[in-house]
Amino acid sequence: MQDLLRYAIKEAEALGASEAEACAAASSESEIFIESNDVKQAKSQKTSSVGIRVLVGGSAGFYSVNNLTKSKVKDAVSMAIKIARVSPKDRHNALPGKSKAMVLRGIYDKKAGSFEASDAAKMAAEMLDAAKSYDKRVSVDNGNLNADVSTHWLANSNGVDLSEKASIFSWSIMGMAIEDSDISSFDLQLGGSHFVKDIDVHTTATEFAKTVVSSLGPRGIESFKGEMLLTPIAINEMIEEVISHSINSDAVQKKSSHFAGKIGKRVSSDLLTVEDDATNVEGLGASSFDREGVAHRRNVVIEKGVLKKFLYNTYTAKKDGVKSTGNASGSTSSPPSVSTTNFVIRPGRSSLDTLVSEMENGMIISRFSGNVNPVNGDFSGVVKGGRLVKNGTIQHPVKEVMVAGNVFEALRCLNGVSKERKIIYDSILPYMRFDDISFTAG
Amino acid sequence: MNLMSNDGHVIDNLRSMISSSSGARYVEARYQARLATEVNFVNGELDRIRVVENSGCGIRVLVDGCWGFSSTNNLSLLKESLGHAISAARVLAQAKKKKVKGLAESKMLTGIFRTSANGSVSDIDIEQKVQVAREGEKAARSNRAVKAASCTYRETLDHKAIVSSDGADSEIYDSKPEFNVSAIAKRGGQSATAHEGVGVTGGWSDLFKKSHLEYAVTASERAAKLLDAKHVSGIRTTVILDPAMVGLLSHEAIGHTVEADFVLSGSVVKDKIGQQVASELVTLVDSGKSEIASNAGGTIIVDDEGVAAGRTAIIEKGILKSFLHNRESALVFDTESTGNARAFQYNDEPLIRMRNTFIEPGTDKLADMIKETKRGYVVKGARNGQADANGEFMFGAEEVYLVENGEVRELMKGASISGNAFDVLKSVDMVGNEFQYDIGTGYCGKFQPAKVDGGGPYIRCAALIGGLQ
Repeated sequence: MQDLLRYAIKEAEALGASEAEACAAASSESEIFIESNDVKQAKSQKTSSVGIRVLVGGSAGFYSVNNLTKSKVKDAVSMAIKIARVSPKDRHNALPGKSKAMVLRGIYDKKAGSFEASDAAKMAAEMLDAAKSYDKRVSVDNGNLNADVSTHWLANSNGVDLSEKASIFSWSIMGMAIEDSDISSFDLQLGGSHFVKDIDVHTTATEFAKTVVSSLGPRGIESFKGEMLLTPIAINEMIEEVISHSINSDAVQKKSSHFAGKIGKRVSSDLLTVEDDATNVEGLGASSFDREGVAHRRNVVIEKGVLKKFLYNTYTAKKDGVKSTGNASGSTSSPPSVSTTNFVIRPGRSSLDTLVSEMENGMIISRFSGNVNPVNGDFSGVVKGGRLVKNGTIQHPVKEVMVAGNVFEALRCLNGVSKERKIIYDSILPYMRFDDISFTAG
Repeated sequence: MNLMSNDGHVIDNLRSMISSSSGARYVEARYQARLATEVNFVNGELDRIRVVENSGCGIRVLVDGCWGFSSTNNLSLLKESLGHAISAARVLAQAKKKKVKGLAESKMLTGIFRTSANGSVSDIDIEQKVQVAREGEKAARSNRAVKAASCTYRETLDHKAIVSSDGADSEIYDSKPEFNVSAIAKRGGQSATAHEGVGVTGGWSDLFKKSHLEYAVTASERAAKLLDAKHVSGIRTTVILDPAMVGLLSHEAIGHTVEADFVLSGSVVKDKIGQQVASELVTLVDSGKSEIASNAGGTIIVDDEGVAAGRTAIIEKGILKSFLHNRESALVFDTESTGNARAFQYNDEPLIRMRNTFIEPGTDKLADMIKETKRGYVVKGARNGQADANGEFMFGAEEVYLVENGEVRELMKGASISGNAFDVLKSVDMVGNEFQYDIGTGYCGKFQPAKVDGGGPYIRCAALIGGLQ
């Protein structure tokens, strides 16, 4: 493969490219789907593709093809050159040079190669059984188990020449509990790992079953203003996208980030520390280099509530006169964009139990279903699997109520972060508690 | 850049693989080569340009009452891929409780099909595609109040071959270009966004019946006007919905509830075939053809099980007539497939999806609909929305005009329309006589995307209108 990529770069240079990049990926994937309390379908795919990016006199061209024969790659290069010749010049277009190579251990399991569709089928069935046997009122709407083994290659005309293997297993289960006419809130639980031995569908299924059963028999409540304790999944649904958008240099440059101009300023209570960390192998977004071949690193973005930096790829970094943070993202079928890798919120000092016991009047939210505006931070939606807390004890599940507010304001009222964290694919998140949140009864 | 140059004999490979396969009750192989082009300008700069070629074969099998699906981009590995699909389905079948009983008998459409296109987009140089996006973005900033703009040209060219052990044997050539522009006007702390766009099944001339600059200038002017518009106050009232809103309502709030897989998991309409669910003025259709008007964006001719994708009346004169089926659900409901099995790319399995979903035109003139409205709103410019399994929906509308005493008054700020879709359809008392498709730039998401369209005439009905920030 490396030879093919070097061939592509040579071809591009011969056709007039000042700089060229070739990125390739090959993967083998198997997946089992669960639907309506039954396994549904087995799916597998093998795929490989290459993306060619060229710069011709400051103009960029991009062509991708999922056929790795030499003649197809040659055609792709000449098309990329043709595209560059009709694209406007942009002085910020550039490819990175070699950065210090880093080898990340712990993202590839040698046993993954022999993990077969039949193994996936067994585990999916086990997850379904575990949820159903926890309590007969549990009803699984859908779920899946996915195993993906892939290799990524990246080479450019500045001497970058990298490759890496990774294995990713992920699974999910979603549904409700039903008792006569009482239907609980929907719940979703997810899990993921890089190693076969760490696939734990049982814990995920049990947590799902426990959550839906405990939200049966909800009672209506009056509207109130109080504390909100979000589970890691709810953090992912309500808070994470707003922060990831706001710390993205592309959003800052397009003037859609609320954090523009706020480096060094306080954007949250001092309990919040956010890192973007592709080197944390617990997260499924871990890898040693980014979409352009820049080495990954740990970027502390918000430290004790103070905004420290934005996330950059080479293009946006050049625009701001800074260095790439290793956040070029995207697949082989797209030129690099900017995004988070593993979104990590540092654990706090309190246990989850302590966070609950300190609540005078508030709500634990298992999931949030609604709209979040990443630009201005406004959110409004429905509380799923809500439980009322008074004087430090959980009272009862509540019927769906509306919750609305603003993420940026909520971050300033953050008054608790748990020690316990959960891995949600490429996010590692604790439980977080906020004050002054309005809940409106329907 | 000829997509179709190297894949002429693919269908023969699929045929021979299927005729020599054993061990599965049903085998379906679908080759798909896709060439996708995208050019996007934002705020005066090229934001993204790319061309992506993606081809391969997806194989679906039914073994021991369980589905298996396998795909590969390497056509020399078809047999191996078939083997994967069969063995995985066989293993999973052991855990499966409710077996797939079979597939409904269907008339397969065989032969070679091309969606009609005036001016093939393959003959248009990439330079011209860059030009329309660049000029469109610039024109979207033509009004001085507009501070940010974006413009995208996108096209998808497909060559498909579908062969199955039940007699499917067809090839399809398809072309779907689209053009989108948005403008954001700002003053002080206020901002207002306007979108314009068009998406068709067809060629370059079908896409640009109106000039790209006209879309852009319209968006620019509207964004500026919306800046000064007043808010709508929340009220249940008479609304006159434009073709795009009618399309969105038909697709999102009604269409999904009648997808047979959704019906089987307990949709609100499950026991309502033969019952009145809408005003007798309403005939609501989903079709794989471009009925009534040409170049509808969701046109497919043949579905991805090889079944003719014709017209299905979901609601006829107010009576619920049919659900939307693939061959599996059709057998369960003891009926015929309606040709709604669709897959997005070669590596996606076919699911029950809509195509062009619309309300048929009636006899009323728009001018009369307005004249006979004492107080209400004309609601235009469908934006994204949400709909639940029970028909409850909330959609955003970009352009809302107050109507008083039979006359159109001022433009109001964007608003939301909500209600229960079936209640709204029951309240329909006037149906316009002019028809248009107008959501062809949209994609529907259900595990995988699908290109769909929708539309209708203007209709008058009652719904809840509310302010939207």
